[in-house]
Amino acid sequence: MRDVIKGRRSVRSFRDEHIPEEHLRFVLEAGVWAPSGGNAQPWEFVVVREKSTIEKIKLFSPGLFGNPDVIVVLCVNKRRVRGGKHEELIALMDVAMAAQNMMLAAYSLGVGSCPIASFNKSAIKELLEIPEHVDPVLMLSLGYPDEWPKPPKKRPLEEVTHYEKY
Amino acid sequence: MVKDEHFKLLAFLITSARGCVDEPRLYGPLRLIDAASKLINIMRLEGKTTKELDKIQEIIEEKKDLVMHDEEAFIKFLDELVTELVKIVKGK
Repeated sequence: MRDVIKGRRSVRSFRDEHIPEEHLRFVLEAGVWAPSGGNAQPWEFVVVREKSTIEKIKLFSPGLFGNPDVIVVLCVNKRRVRGGKHEELIALMDVAMAAQNMMLAAYSLGVGSCPIASFNKSAIKELLEIPEHVDPVLMLSLGYPDEWPKPPKKRPLEEVTHYEKY
Repeated sequence: MVKDEHFKLLAFLITSARGCVDEPRLYGPLRLIDAASKLINIMRLEGKTTKELDKIQEIIEEKKDLVMHDEEAFIKFLDELVTELVKIVKGK
C-alpha cells in the first residue's frame, strides 16, 4: 500500500495502448468503494473511451495533457446531496476520495492517471449530455505512461503535522 | 472543423481565457506557453518551423510542469524562452 501511495504520479504523457476492460472496471469499482458523508455516494462517473469524443473533450480542457486512452468525468449528483450548509463541500470531498481511490487502483495496475480540474464545466456538460442536476467537477485521464514522472517536492511530515495542538 | 489544428488552438485559447478568470495566477502564463507550443505544432505542419523554434518547443515541453512545484524556476524558464526568441530576432 505504501509503495502504491508513494509511487503514484500525475501522468501527462501516454503511450498509445489500450487499457483492458477488466482493469478499467477495477479502477471504477475502487471509486465506488470510497467513503462518503452519510453514505450519500453523490458521485456519477462518465467514462469516455471513444477517441473522437476524447478529442472533443480536449478542446474544452486546457488542463488535459497528452493522449489518454480513457477519460473519466467525475460528477456530483445534486439529487444525492443532502441538504445542509456544508453538504456541497462534503460532496466534493466525497468525489475527491473516489478519485484518489481510482488513481491508486490504476497505479497498482501500471496505469497512469492525472486529476484535472481545468476544464469548462458547461461545455463538458453539454458535450456529454450530462443532465441538469449532475455537475462535472473533476476529470481523470488514464493511460499507460510514456514514463513515470520523478517525484515532486513534498512538504516534510514534521512541517505539516501538529500533535495535540496546532 | 473539430480536427482542424487552427480550430483546436482557437478552442484552447477561448476555453483558457474563461478558465483563467477562476484559476491560480500562474496558470495564465502556463496556458499561453502551452498555446505557443501548439502554435509551433501548426507551423510544423505548414513547413514553417526552424531548428530554433524546435528548440523553443523542446524547452516548453520539458519545463512547463515547473509551474506545479517551483514558481521561481517556472519564471526563469519563461525568461529563458524570451532569450531564445531574441536570438531568433537578432539572427544569431
